[in-house]
Amino acid sequence: MELKNKKWTEDEFFKAREEVLNQWPTGKGVNLEEAAEYLRKVPEHKSFPFKLKKAKEQGITLAQPRAGVALIEDHINLLKYLQDEGEADLLPTTIDSYTRQNRYKECEIGLEESRKAGRSMLNGFPAVNHGVEGCRKVFEAIDLPLQARHGTPDARLLSEIIHAAGWTSNEGGAISYNIPYAKNVSLEKSILDWQYCDRLVGLYEEMGISLNREPFGPLTGTLVPPSISNAIAIIEGLLAAEQGVKNITLGYGQCGNLIQDVAAMKALEEQANEYFKEYGYDVELTTVFHQWMGGFPQDEAKAFGVISWGSATAALAGATKVIVKTPHEAVGIPTKEANAAGIKATKQTLNLLRGQRLPMPKELEEEIKLIKMETKCILDKVFEVGKGDLAVGVVKAFEMGILDIPFAPSKFNAGKVLPARDNNGAVRILEFGNLPFTKEIKDFHRSLLEERARYEKRKIGFQMVVDDINAVGKGFLVGRPNY
Amino acid sequence: MQKTVVLGVIGADCHAVGNKILERALSEAGFNVVNIGVMCSQEEFINATIETNADAILVSSLYGHGEIDCRGLREKCDEAGLKNILLYIGGNLVVGKQDWSDVEKRFKGMGFNRVYPPGTSPEIGIRDLKRDLGIED
Repeated sequence: MELKNKKWTEDEFFKAREEVLNQWPTGKGVNLEEAAEYLRKVPEHKSFPFKLKKAKEQGITLAQPRAGVALIEDHINLLKYLQDEGEADLLPTTIDSYTRQNRYKECEIGLEESRKAGRSMLNGFPAVNHGVEGCRKVFEAIDLPLQARHGTPDARLLSEIIHAAGWTSNEGGAISYNIPYAKNVSLEKSILDWQYCDRLVGLYEEMGISLNREPFGPLTGTLVPPSISNAIAIIEGLLAAEQGVKNITLGYGQCGNLIQDVAAMKALEEQANEYFKEYGYDVELTTVFHQWMGGFPQDEAKAFGVISWGSATAALAGATKVIVKTPHEAVGIPTKEANAAGIKATKQTLNLLRGQRLPMPKELEEEIKLIKMETKCILDKVFEVGKGDLAVGVVKAFEMGILDIPFAPSKFNAGKVLPARDNNGAVRILEFGNLPFTKEIKDFHRSLLEERARYEKRKIGFQMVVDDINAVGKGFLVGRPNY
Repeated sequence: MQKTVVLGVIGADCHAVGNKILERALSEAGFNVVNIGVMCSQEEFINATIETNADAILVSSLYGHGEIDCRGLREKCDEAGLKNILLYIGGNLVVGKQDWSDVEKRFKGMGFNRVYPPGTSPEIGIRDLKRDLGIED
C-alpha cells in the first residue's frame, strides 16, 4: 500500500484486517459487530472520552497510574487495589515488552513461568495472548475507564482485541511507539500500522461509539526539548484525525522547569487546536502531563518529592490528566502498594492545587512563543519535504534529521540532536543536528547554555548532558559539576 | 594492549540512554567498545564477541525480563567456544522490588561473573572490569 496521509477505504482496511486477525489464534475471537454491541453498553463512568470531557469541563486533573502483570486474576487484583485503595481516576493496562514486539510465543513462556513461580515474570499484561475474553474479564471486574498503554510499533491485533473488550482508550502512535521503542522498524511500516489502529477507532466512531486515542508524548523521556515532542504530538494527532479519530489526548513529559513545562502544555493545546482547525478536523482535544520520566532517586521519600513536583506542575498547567510515577521507579516495576502510594501523593497535591492556575508573567508568555515558533519551524519543514503529505513528510523528515528524537534507539532516527539544561533547568539544545530552526532561535539556545557554562566554570559539552541525565536521581534538576 | 568489550541491552528491551552513556564511559576508560545497542538476542551478543575477539560481554537489562532473557546464555557461550568469557550484567533485572542479594545470587547461579543493581555508576563496573582483565590503572 502506498503511504500517504489519507483515510483508508473500507476495502483497504478489511483486506488488511484478514491478515491481522490471523496473526495469533485469539484474533479469531474478534467480531466487529459483536464488539460494537458490547461497546455500546459501556456505561459513562467507564468511558474514557466521557470522563475526560467531564474533567476538562470541570477544570480538574485526573490521575492515572501505569500497571500490568502477566496473569488475569493478579492483574484484576492489582487494578482493583489501585482503584479502591489508590483512588485512581482512570485505569491502565500496561502491556508487556514481548507483546510490544509481537513475540506472542515468548509471552506464552512468560505466562507459564509466572504461574509456576507464583509471581509475574512479564513486565506487563499480554493482552493478545489473553484475547478478547480475558481482556473483558479485566474490564468487567473494575469500575473505571480502561486504557492500553504499551510501546508497540505494530499494535494492530492488540488494538482490535482491547477495543473489542471494552477498553475505551489506546495509547501510541506511528512515531512515538516506534522511534523510542524499536531498533529496526521503518516509519513507512509503523505509519501504515498505526493508520490501521486509528482507522479502527474511526470505524467505531462511525458506528456511534466514542473511543479515545493518546499519542505518547514523552518519547524517550530523556531531556526531550518541548518543541520536538510537541511537533510529533501534533503530527500524530493529525494522522489520527485523518483516519476518523475524534477524541484525542495529546501529551508531554515533564522536563522539570515550571515555566517551561506550563508553557509547553499551553503551547501544545493551543497549537494542536490551530492545526486541527486549519486541516478541517473536528476533534475533542484533551491533554496529559507525564510526571518525570527520567531516572528517579532510590530513596522512596525523595521519589515522592519528584512525584509531587510533577503533580503540582500538571495541576498548574491545567492538564486533563496526569500519568503517575511510583516510589519504586528507580528499581523497576512497583508493588501494588507502592503504586497506590504514588497515586495518593499525586491526588493530594492535585487537590490542594485544584482551580489554581499560573498567572501569565512575561517569562511564561515568551516561553510559549518560543516553543510555538520552534514547533512551527519543524512542522512547516515536514509538510514541505512531504510536498504537502504529512505521512510522506514524516518519513523524509526523519531521514533528513528534521525530526530527530534525542537518545532514541531506532536506526531511522538521526540522533544528532543533543539537549542540555540551561541555568534555570529548562531543556535547551546544545547540538541542533538538522533541526530547521532559525539562526535567532539557535543563538538564543546557545546564549542560555553559555550562561550556564560561565556559572559552572566549565565548557559546554557532553559531560553536561550526562550530568543532567543523572541529576534528578541524585536529587537535583541541573547536573552541576560538583554534586 | 587495548581490551575489547561487547556492550548491549538484551531481549525486547529498548532502553537506550544508559547504553549510550556506558559506551562513552567505557571508551573514555580506554576500552574498545563494540556496542550492539538495544534489543539484542543472546546470539547477537555471542556473534559479536566471536567476530571481534572480545574479552568480556556486558549485558544490560532494564525492563524486568532479564531472568527469562538471560537463561542459558553462559551455556551458549560455552558451546560457541567462549569458555570462561567474562559475563557482566546490570540494571533492573527482575520484575518488582526484590531483595538484592537474592537477585544477585540468582544471576551468579546463571553464570554471570558480576551482577550490578540499579543505579550503579559506570566507574564501578569499569574498575571491576580492569581488575578482572588484569589491566593496570
